[in-house]
Amino acid sequence: MTTRSPGELIVTRLSRFGRVLRAGGLEVGPGRIQDALLALAAVDVGSREETYWALRCTLVSRHADLETFDEAFARFCDEALIDEPSLAAGGEAEKPEQQAGEGQLPETTDQLTPDSPTPREAEDEEPEAGEAGIRWSAVERLRELDFARYTDAELQEASRLVERTARAVPLRFSRRLRTAADGPMFDKRRTLRGAMRTDGYPIERSWRRPRLVPRKLVFVVDVSGSMQPYARAMIMFMQAAVRAGRRVEAFTFGTRLTRVTRELEGRNPDRALAAAARVVRDWAGGTRIGANLEVLNDEWGRRGLTRGAVVVIVSDGWERGDIKGMVQEMKRLRRMTHTLVWVNPLAGEPGYEPLAQGMAAALPYIDHFLPGHNLNSLTALAEVLESLPSRHRHTAPTALRR
Amino acid sequence: MAQQLAEHAYLVDTGLATVLSVALSVGKPLLLEGEAGVGKTECAKALAEMLGARLIRLQCYEGIDVSHALYDWNYARQMLYIRTLEAAEAATSAAVTDVFGPDFIVRRPLLEAIDNDDPRPPVLLIDEIDRADDEFEAFLLELLSDFQVTIPEIGTIRARRRPVVILTSNRTRELHDALRRRCLFHWIGYPSLEREIEIVLARIPGVPEQLAAQASAFVAGLRNEALGKAPGVAETLDWVQALCSMDEQTLEPEIVGATLGAVLKSHEDLEHIREESLSERVARAREAGARAR
Repeated sequence: MTTRSPGELIVTRLSRFGRVLRAGGLEVGPGRIQDALLALAAVDVGSREETYWALRCTLVSRHADLETFDEAFARFCDEALIDEPSLAAGGEAEKPEQQAGEGQLPETTDQLTPDSPTPREAEDEEPEAGEAGIRWSAVERLRELDFARYTDAELQEASRLVERTARAVPLRFSRRLRTAADGPMFDKRRTLRGAMRTDGYPIERSWRRPRLVPRKLVFVVDVSGSMQPYARAMIMFMQAAVRAGRRVEAFTFGTRLTRVTRELEGRNPDRALAAAARVVRDWAGGTRIGANLEVLNDEWGRRGLTRGAVVVIVSDGWERGDIKGMVQEMKRLRRMTHTLVWVNPLAGEPGYEPLAQGMAAALPYIDHFLPGHNLNSLTALAEVLESLPSRHRHTAPTALRR
Repeated sequence: MAQQLAEHAYLVDTGLATVLSVALSVGKPLLLEGEAGVGKTECAKALAEMLGARLIRLQCYEGIDVSHALYDWNYARQMLYIRTLEAAEAATSAAVTDVFGPDFIVRRPLLEAIDNDDPRPPVLLIDEIDRADDEFEAFLLELLSDFQVTIPEIGTIRARRRPVVILTSNRTRELHDALRRRCLFHWIGYPSLEREIEIVLARIPGVPEQLAAQASAFVAGLRNEALGKAPGVAETLDWVQALCSMDEQTLEPEIVGATLGAVLKSHEDLEHIREESLSERVARAREAGARAR
């Protein structure tokens, strides 16, 4: 090894450290590395603590990444004390670890991402004229077919159809205004500009009115054992919605609540679903609806994520925990949200009665109760979401009206 | 850094002190996140005092736009000017351009931060950026990367010296990656018990040391409970202030019961804590407080 100046050594080490962080999912580009170098120049690099803070504030940009950074930093420091080559080994060590992680994937991942072509490719192979009739009836059949009876190929086909319905977003009035031909608000700025053309007389008056913007939409999907056949389809729907709307949040729950919004972003549905499957650790487990709603209220609702939002809960309502606690959390959630929608795949069966204890207890706090067992019912869900009023809710929950 | 800030009654740990000095020397905006009431806004105030600079604060809210944050035209004045010119029959084309000149601009915080005659660059606090919407965030991006703004009628105004920029967020909304990329980031957590006692003593002059320790320990205990909203340092300070004004020397269960509303702000949380015996909780806080001192 040739001798290098301390400066070069720091640059090399830092870019290696950057690679380790990138492998851990942090967004560390050359710009960040440059900032980190500037920051290191501003502190005493001999002090581990100061180095830590200088690197942390330049390389990390979100709270969720702090843990990854701390781990990487600790390992990096220990290795830096030994010698150079082991540093490289540290960087490599990341890979096998990741593979091990992938090995633990639930088997559902395979079902989520079959090897068949992606929707986009499938679209290129549009049917020829002669096949159109057959294809059409196949689509009709799919629309009515219960998700539980879907084959993987049919699910793939359905994902294209879901794409269109999932664009439905509820709207609300924004505090921002837009120009309008008539409107409740006087536009001083435009009127005065216009007056310049008429010798300073404001003859043409301009008006503004509140703009309509997408209302926050939060999906909370049950992925426990009893929901398994439907969870795949619902996650597909969520993914399409996350991609279509700007203010959509997605959560899954079984034994614990997982936020999957970031995983579901991105243009490639297969990759997004695989990423989501990787973070969801409780596929096909039990359900504790109340406990999960409590986490939703405490961790996310309190910070405003569900405030004024349309919340769509997808679950069969089989609560294995405490019913009283669940009712408590439903009340809290209802106070926070604009509209509470519950989608229950079982409700698609003829003669369905909300017999599941959790379902019966939750019913009084729900604004819209819908089935979610096939594509047609998802279209119905989309229609409900689109037709929600843009103003505040005035009706009291059914429980209070009685 | 920590010492200098301490002179302005703002106590920081090594982490924040290092991050602040890095932010000053690198010249990048600093994004502060953390639970409500941990002193994100106070940090900017103390920094401004320490630097002897002016603090310019922009409170964000939904729907905030350029005319609230950057500049607006003074319409009434423009109108009067036009009328006066007319009466004097002096309405020349030059006079009309005047109407859209610097004299008729209402300067809002962002313009003030960029264009000023301060002896030192001001500290610009963009508070609760998560409350503003995506469009405003996109507009801020441009400002924070170049420190210049363009007013169509006047031209581009460039900052002669960059202001020190602090952004705070309560994470009610995920900020855009592009904004995060332009900022340094720091997460402010709850302080340790010892640190919190120091903060109370520094912030509230004349507080009995024993009371400060016991109250801080009591609040620290509350943070371990499953509460809807855990109390922040701001709540501790409010509460101790209230206790001080009642001339309390130590924490007594009855007084705690009566003043708990200064610490816990929701009915459910109050109920939850009152279920358990307050006197036991107070006794524990007294012990912990004595140990911390």
